[in-house]
Amino acid sequence: MTRSGWLVLTASARGASHVAMDTPNQDAVGTGPAGPDGVVAAVADGHGHWRHLRSARGSRLAVTVGCQVGTELAGRLPASPDAAAVTGLLTGFAVPAIITRWRDAVLADLAGDPFTSAEQERRLPGDDPVIAYGSTLLLAVAVREWLAIAQIGDGDVIGVRADGRADLPVPGDPNLDGLVTTSLCGADPAGDFRVAAVDTARVPLLALLLATDGYGNAQVAQEWPEAFSRDLAGMLRNRDEQWLASQLPAWAARCASGDGSADDTTVALLISPAGRPPLAATPPGSTGRDGDLDEEETTIPASRGDTVPSSPVPAEPDAAWQAAAPTAGERAAERPGPGGQGRAGGAR
Amino acid sequence: MTDTLMPGGGVARRPLHFIVMADCSGSMKGEKMQALNFALRSMLPHLVDWERDQLQAQLLVRILAFATAPAWFVADPTPIAELATRWRNLEYVPMGRTNMGPAFRAVAEVLGPDRLERRALRPAILLITDGLPTDPPGGFEAGLDALMSIAAGRSALRLAVAIGRDASSEPLDRFRSPEVPVLVADGTDEIADRLVTASIAVSRMSEAGVDRGALAQQLIPAGSDPSRPRDRGGLGVDDSIL
Repeated sequence: MTRSGWLVLTASARGASHVAMDTPNQDAVGTGPAGPDGVVAAVADGHGHWRHLRSARGSRLAVTVGCQVGTELAGRLPASPDAAAVTGLLTGFAVPAIITRWRDAVLADLAGDPFTSAEQERRLPGDDPVIAYGSTLLLAVAVREWLAIAQIGDGDVIGVRADGRADLPVPGDPNLDGLVTTSLCGADPAGDFRVAAVDTARVPLLALLLATDGYGNAQVAQEWPEAFSRDLAGMLRNRDEQWLASQLPAWAARCASGDGSADDTTVALLISPAGRPPLAATPPGSTGRDGDLDEEETTIPASRGDTVPSSPVPAEPDAAWQAAAPTAGERAAERPGPGGQGRAGGAR
Repeated sequence: MTDTLMPGGGVARRPLHFIVMADCSGSMKGEKMQALNFALRSMLPHLVDWERDQLQAQLLVRILAFATAPAWFVADPTPIAELATRWRNLEYVPMGRTNMGPAFRAVAEVLGPDRLERRALRPAILLITDGLPTDPPGGFEAGLDALMSIAAGRSALRLAVAIGRDASSEPLDRFRSPEVPVLVADGTDEIADRLVTASIAVSRMSEAGVDRGALAQQLIPAGSDPSRPRDRGGLGVDDSIL
């Protein structure tokens, strides 16, 4: 028996190099609803180069816009879509909408807070203002049996199969050689987006990881997605939700540390109904999951910050995203009760 | 403190490959070769200290000795601290020529996408020579093209140290990174200084968003041409846009 609804856990950690150089965490993460039992999750990595001097804002705007568009995409999904229909929505609606709205959001931010003289000095003559806000974006919409995924720039999207094998749904980009990245602020963002539609009825997944490159760049194994997938599949079988929620920030923090990539590291872990572990460790004598689980189900809070909390803590809602979507608690309240639909946990 | 139970194969700092291409041709015989070995030995402690103090990279060094043909003197990527503890001197090749093309090819082979770690930082290549290339016609160009045809070669910090003014040649200008001038050691006594300067450049390679224009300003000897173009951006470590 599996519980219905997707679960999202999120975490973000400021890179050790950013701490050393007194620069902020330029990553961002966001989540949102996608229909009655679906979820949207997005992570973004603001570029660290001095030319992208407002990239922390750019990544926040990227996940906000991405989640808004993801929610809308879920609403546009036909009753019985096929892969072509999902891909068509991604390329025909989501990608252009993200590009346009992100640019509009950047320009609105700039209108409200023009470049300071110090920032102007750092900009290159003739630079499009959006370059200052440069960011990647990885977006996943889990709605019904479909996963709709869009990515621009580096970072990793890894599907975890029930047998522990890794699934890499997003096509590779030969331009991403680990040295440079495509970007929302690039010359041809529409051409640089890569999309994927995954029918989880055909390719059953336990989970999907979205990660900024700080995570993958910390991994020793050359083929780390395989190792990650194998290990996570085991954890989903043997651990409970609270444990996973408490560990994810530690994983991000370890990658972001001086023992890892030292780069900002942000992850969103989408767990499918089939992959959802028990809410809590099964007490002795208990039969495990029962009909009341959904009743007791609470939103797993996102953990986002520069330190690893000892236990999950609620994230402060982001004002911009709050305006676009209900808070995690509001979403939970809107959902059907026992035996009904799952919830999106985590908010930026 | 408890260990984090984490999926995957563990984490580590990102590798930063530093390849030294050392001219061991016949003209390096004697004082120059001694000075080069001294300079390389002198450079190592600076890099050891830097690696210890920074957070982002594990520095792995290889040394290619080249003359008529290239030969790996330190073939495997070697942690800088380990290299410092088991240093042995390079030797010149009697009658050896200064064929740079095959040396570039050898470096290109080890920096190819099938050899370089997916998560490696941009590599650094340091070419030290006392003379002009003596490749057969087209050999230098073909070798340099092979290096520049791979992403890691193009994006590498390519430093050139010329031993003697005559060695600061147009071919070295074609090899070096545009923002970083050829470092000239007018005499053997200056080789060590130039290599320390090069090591500073290498040590800044892992800094996110490093400004190569500013780096070049640090490296330019007093009185050099200030009219070099400014870094146009897009060269930061892993933070650049295409």
